[in-house]
Amino acid sequence: MFKWKKLGKVFDPTEVKDKSWLHEYAQAPSVLIFDKYVRVYFSCRPKPDERGQYVSYSAFVDLNRYNLFEILNISKEPILKLGDLGTFDEFGTYPVSVIRNDNECYVYYTGHTRCESVPFNTAIGLAISDNNGETFNKVGSGPVLSYSPNEPFTLSGPKIRKFNNLWYLWYIAGSKWITTSEKPELIYRIRMATSKDGFNWLKLDRNVIEGKLGENEVQASPDVFFYEGGFHMFFCYMVTPDFRRNKDKTYRIGYAYSTDLTNWVRDDSKAGIDISQEGWDSEMVAYPHVFKLDGKVYMFYLGNQVGRFGFGLAQLEMTLN
Amino acid sequence: MKWEKLGKIFDPTKYKLANNCFEFAQSPQTLVFDTFVRIYFSTREKDKTGKYLSHVSFIEMDKKFKKVFNVSTNTIIKLGGLGCFDEHGIFPINVLRDNDRILAYTSGWNRKVSVSVDASIGLAISYDDGLTFQKVGTGPVLTSSLHEPFLVGDGFVVKYGTSYHMWYVYGSRWIKDSTERDPQRVYKIVHAISNDGVSWERDGKHIILDKLNEDECQALPSVIHFNNRFHMVFCYRHAIGFRKIKDNGYRLGYAYSDDLIQWIRDDEKLGIDLTEGSWDSDMMCYPHIFRCDDKIYLLYNGNEFGRYGFGLAVLEEELV
Repeated sequence: MFKWKKLGKVFDPTEVKDKSWLHEYAQAPSVLIFDKYVRVYFSCRPKPDERGQYVSYSAFVDLNRYNLFEILNISKEPILKLGDLGTFDEFGTYPVSVIRNDNECYVYYTGHTRCESVPFNTAIGLAISDNNGETFNKVGSGPVLSYSPNEPFTLSGPKIRKFNNLWYLWYIAGSKWITTSEKPELIYRIRMATSKDGFNWLKLDRNVIEGKLGENEVQASPDVFFYEGGFHMFFCYMVTPDFRRNKDKTYRIGYAYSTDLTNWVRDDSKAGIDISQEGWDSEMVAYPHVFKLDGKVYMFYLGNQVGRFGFGLAQLEMTLN
Repeated sequence: MKWEKLGKIFDPTKYKLANNCFEFAQSPQTLVFDTFVRIYFSTREKDKTGKYLSHVSFIEMDKKFKKVFNVSTNTIIKLGGLGCFDEHGIFPINVLRDNDRILAYTSGWNRKVSVSVDASIGLAISYDDGLTFQKVGTGPVLTSSLHEPFLVGDGFVVKYGTSYHMWYVYGSRWIKDSTERDPQRVYKIVHAISNDGVSWERDGKHIILDKLNEDECQALPSVIHFNNRFHMVFCYRHAIGFRKIKDNGYRLGYAYSDDLIQWIRDDEKLGIDLTEGSWDSDMMCYPHIFRCDDKIYLLYNGNEFGRYGFGLAVLEEELV
């Protein structure tokens, strides 16, 4: 099993004062590693509109590679513009996952639109950067991964990887909206697709991670990395809509392993990270992102209120077989 | 071409329809049997907010199109569940025989907030000669993609050899105009190919040249082969003012092809237009061209987008 040492909160978006589009939230952190710094992409929001509705943007913060608690730079503008009237990403570009491809960076991102009978719909877009991931240009005005017979709506949370010259996209897809006394709540699970070029995707077309909390379990942030001869996935999960009222039902971090990237064995007892007794991650731990840096393994993750007040860092202390 | 108009053949307000539908019989499309013709169409109920929901229905007529002898009283295809692409309507529906199955390509509608709707194309299959259909999944088979951002609909499928060809439309942009309360859409005709009718290859290329201007809206492509050529009938209109200004409303367009790839638009050749003082005096739209016995027919909607039904014309040209 894994054992993580929590190092504390790294970035608090509410401390940034000069950017109206970065008012609060720093969600779904993921990294791109440079020689002297680690660029951490995250998603944020300006203040909500008069009806209480948010749009979301994505941005980055550059951390000193040799001291991840030192902020060197924050992006001047969001890395992606919102889409035009009626497009899939008109109301949000959150979250994102960035990967290098030759001299360019590709970002896979979730576009948000608003619907009448349900609060939103999402699909996955693609944009490309030729300036080391500072800004990205969309490849098209529509999504690169959209709905299909068995993934009817809400494709989101992309995590892009390349293994053995094949592109892998883990993401989540909604299967059902359930009616509650308030607004409808979404059931979503982890899915995956593969591609030879990053543009044309073949969906596996089934859930990747077995559920363990019943049919209303939701899963997010399927974050895969290769380590010590195997593939490891950290993700988060909870029960909807119970999480709205019961802190014990909010996001926790789960774990699965695989030898072939397609078949995954879930064993949350090996995740080795949980909520703290007190502090910024006392109610939930969510949206893990694991990466290797200078011989060490780290995890960025979100705490209470799903990253409303930023993200924190943990370091892998040891693995036990 | 030369057509003889046979007049309006079905008025939905004169019949009792399933699902509390009371007006509209839009985009009629046929399934021809040995002794009769079934005509599927989309009709409408009003939901509790006063907005329309489109449902699929059908009628059955004799092969001379003189008499409606059956009107469906059942739900042919259920609307989708909460949040699904076809939650708020199915319009139009295209049906075709595929060995012992009937395939239905449905355009599903879902309401949005900043613009009125989105659409995607679903697939449903019937094993009882088209009386009932089961959906393939709860999601669409053809929807938004990188270069086809929204409003994917109006699928019309024909099987030539082992390939399925689909002509359909997608929306390229939404326009805000001071003369309209809500944003208005622009959409064009495109083509896709499939080996199984489920997975489609497409290139997003507009295949029909604009005649009005770049905001021309093109809809309901309907394709048939006769006299050694492929023929496409469709409808087109201006993006703005098409509901109230007669000159901006839907007209029928025409294109022909010898290879299913290059299409030559020549609306004049179609040889059918509005008839003053008649049910199709202001508008002609949602055409469906089909063969029945040894004749080629054209079904279409007239004024008010088919609120009061559809009519028929027959081709006077000899078939080779």
